[in-house]
Amino acid sequence: MAENQSSENWEPRIVAIVCNWCTYAGADLAGISRIQYPPNVRIIRVPCSGRINPFYVVKALQEGADGILVSGCHPGECHYLTGNLSARRKFAALKSFLNYIGMEGDRTIFTWVSASEGDRFAQVIKGVTEAVRALGPAKKLVKHL
Amino acid sequence: MENVQKKLREEAKNLLEEGKVDVIVGYEQGTLPLTATPCFISDPLEAEKLVWNAFCVQNLAKYVHDVIFLHRESQKRVKPEDRKKKVVGVVARGCTTRSLLIHLQERQYDRSEVFVIGVPCTGYVDKKKQSALLEGEEVLEGVLANSELQVKTASGDRKVALAEVLADNCLTCRFNNPLISDLMIGEAAPPMDADREFEAVDAFEKLPIEERWAYFTKEMAKCIRCYACRNACPSCYCKICFVEQTQPRWVGIGEDETDTQVFQLMRLYHMVGRCVDCGSCIAVCPMGVDLRKFLKKLDKDDLEMFDHRAGTSLDSPAPLSTYRENDREDFIFNP
Ligand code: SF4
Ligand code: SF4
Ligand code: FES
Repeated sequence: MAENQSSENWEPRIVAIVCNWCTYAGADLAGISRIQYPPNVRIIRVPCSGRINPFYVVKALQEGADGILVSGCHPGECHYLTGNLSARRKFAALKSFLNYIGMEGDRTIFTWVSASEGDRFAQVIKGVTEAVRALGPAKKLVKHL
Repeated sequence: MENVQKKLREEAKNLLEEGKVDVIVGYEQGTLPLTATPCFISDPLEAEKLVWNAFCVQNLAKYVHDVIFLHRESQKRVKPEDRKKKVVGVVARGCTTRSLLIHLQERQYDRSEVFVIGVPCTGYVDKKKQSALLEGEEVLEGVLANSELQVKTASGDRKVALAEVLADNCLTCRFNNPLISDLMIGEAAPPMDADREFEAVDAFEKLPIEERWAYFTKEMAKCIRCYACRNACPSCYCKICFVEQTQPRWVGIGEDETDTQVFQLMRLYHMVGRCVDCGSCIAVCPMGVDLRKFLKKLDKDDLEMFDHRAGTSLDSPAPLSTYRENDREDFIFNP
């Protein structure tokens, strides 16, 4: 991923790790409804936000993602009941720690999008893309091969 | 301390003779002056070797876990009817008991498999501070008397106040007396200066982001990935650590500096609500990496976000293995 870092027409590359039951379905809905959102995001589908090892986020940063979005069902709506509640704690701690060591907070973004929120999904992707664009290409923790 | 040590030897001898414990994990005199080293005692006559002083550094909970798991492994080759239970006695101060509580909480072994010999603690000597004060000179002989290290080096006799060389984690320790024990030796130790425990973290948080990053990268650049910190840590007990996994390979093993940063970042993150601030990792680090600056932040977050303190109670599970309905949400992105 590192190759597009220095090029002039840099475009943010964003990895979105989303749960199958809500956010992925929300993305689907956005697609079916033909809602436009920036093409900067690569979606990775996982069963539940509780299944996301925080290491995925760190690894994606190391591999050169400019931004990471993690999204699951709203609290109380997780398909597995409490997966997102455990996830919320893991990512609260991760985000705070990344910030502490001096990583930019806006590169790791956590949110909830439900299956019926196609609109919101597009909004989130827009918001994240703008935030990451403002930060410029990722430099910290990025492995150069 | 002298009395505690004397009593400790007596009690250890009794426990072994009575068969209440099969082995005692404690400290013995080290091979160099002003040092102590972990030891394993199963012969009552050897109880005389035990020491308890300001040079006992490593958190012994690590060895308790090791002994129990090695024993379990060895029992697999024994006929079920001949299998024996082993009780491990451990000389434990505040931070050691917290690590034992974490093990028990995480169901590593049963409470009946450990016998906790509680000892009061007034902190240990940080070898790196000691060596800095002695300008790196080798200690030829040394004693600790009246809160003073009296040492002989090549350039003559020197004196160093104990307070000057106590480890940072000990200076602000909040739990220097055992939280659990089956047998308590000596009186409770006076409290340390716990109100200042987060001072360094608070100051670091206020630095500008680039300075924080510069500090993190500078410290991690020192690391040679010897994994001594992990090996010394009682909370790092996984059979296969992520750093050695190859399917998938989480962390590269090359010279790339980000591999080291990622290794450190993830090992540190695994300590959310599981670090007892015993300082064992820092004591064994050959490169003097400032791990505590980062570990203590996790401790602070654990307290502020989850109202939890590592290894202080059997009833409160590790914070990342549980949740509350009303956990903080202020970091959630809402366009
Ligand atoms: S951290 Fe506390 S209990 Fe542990 S050695 Fe230091 S003073 Fe003793
Ligand atoms: S002990 Fe020090 S040098 Fe060794 S891996 Fe840990 S931090 Fe790095
Ligand atoms: S299934 Fe969507 S967060 Fe658990």
